[in-house]
Amino acid sequence: MAKIKKAARPQAEIPTASMSDIAFLLLIFFIVSTVFVKGKVIKVALPRAESIDKIPRSHAATLYVDRAGNITIDDYSIQIPQIENVMIKKLYEDFNLITCFRTDREVSYGVMADIMNQLRKANALRVSFEAKRKL
Amino acid sequence: MLRPRKKRDMGGIPTSSMSDVAFLLLIFFLSTTKFDMKYGLGLVLPAPSTEETVKVRLKEDNLTRVMIDREGRIAVNDDIVPFEEVRDKIRSLVKDNPDMVISLKTDRQSNYNNMIIVLDQLRLAGAEKINLSTN
Repeated sequence: MAKIKKAARPQAEIPTASMSDIAFLLLIFFIVSTVFVKGKVIKVALPRAESIDKIPRSHAATLYVDRAGNITIDDYSIQIPQIENVMIKKLYEDFNLITCFRTDREVSYGVMADIMNQLRKANALRVSFEAKRKL
Repeated sequence: MLRPRKKRDMGGIPTSSMSDVAFLLLIFFLSTTKFDMKYGLGLVLPAPSTEETVKVRLKEDNLTRVMIDREGRIAVNDDIVPFEEVRDKIRSLVKDNPDMVISLKTDRQSNYNNMIIVLDQLRLAGAEKINLSTN
């Protein structure tokens, strides 16, 4: 009896030739989309604390107060009486705004109290004092 | 006389390990990228006082005064308390009376850092109602 030869099954294979293309694509995507934090011109030595929470970046408006008491928001240097208007504008853009204080630890508290009074006037009541995790 | 020419070897770049190289770079960048996270101590400021706001008079029993002077000394209800003991003292106060409001009064000349480290201790002690003020 003649044997019927079974048709050889085609071998399943994953094409790997384009694997490097995929890898490079991902690589290039990450290289292009990575934004390095610019060396901040404003030098701020943050205080250290233990009970710190994550601040949602999407709602954060960062207010820098450096050692000399200069106040900067969004790369604009401002004076204390102007804060109210700036914050009203910011609050209008984002209702859930959180004002993040990036304040140098050597700043005297009076400056901060004045700023917070301005924030209260602007109704920007959610604040966060940025701090580094205590070692 | 005709001699068949030897076929020249085609010089080729081996591409089989290209994906390995690409993935290596990809993994390197993935693992070394650190996202810049913001951490801080959150707080909600009281609304600005207008004529409409009703002043709530707190019972003396429900109020703890924590004061920081310009030298960084801490007083809890007019007793000077070493920094290390602040947390335990506040914890017991909050435990006895969950409605306890802590009023943190910082001297204008005091360092911002003093305020933050005490605020951190208050939060670690479980105090939820914290009020900031200055002289």
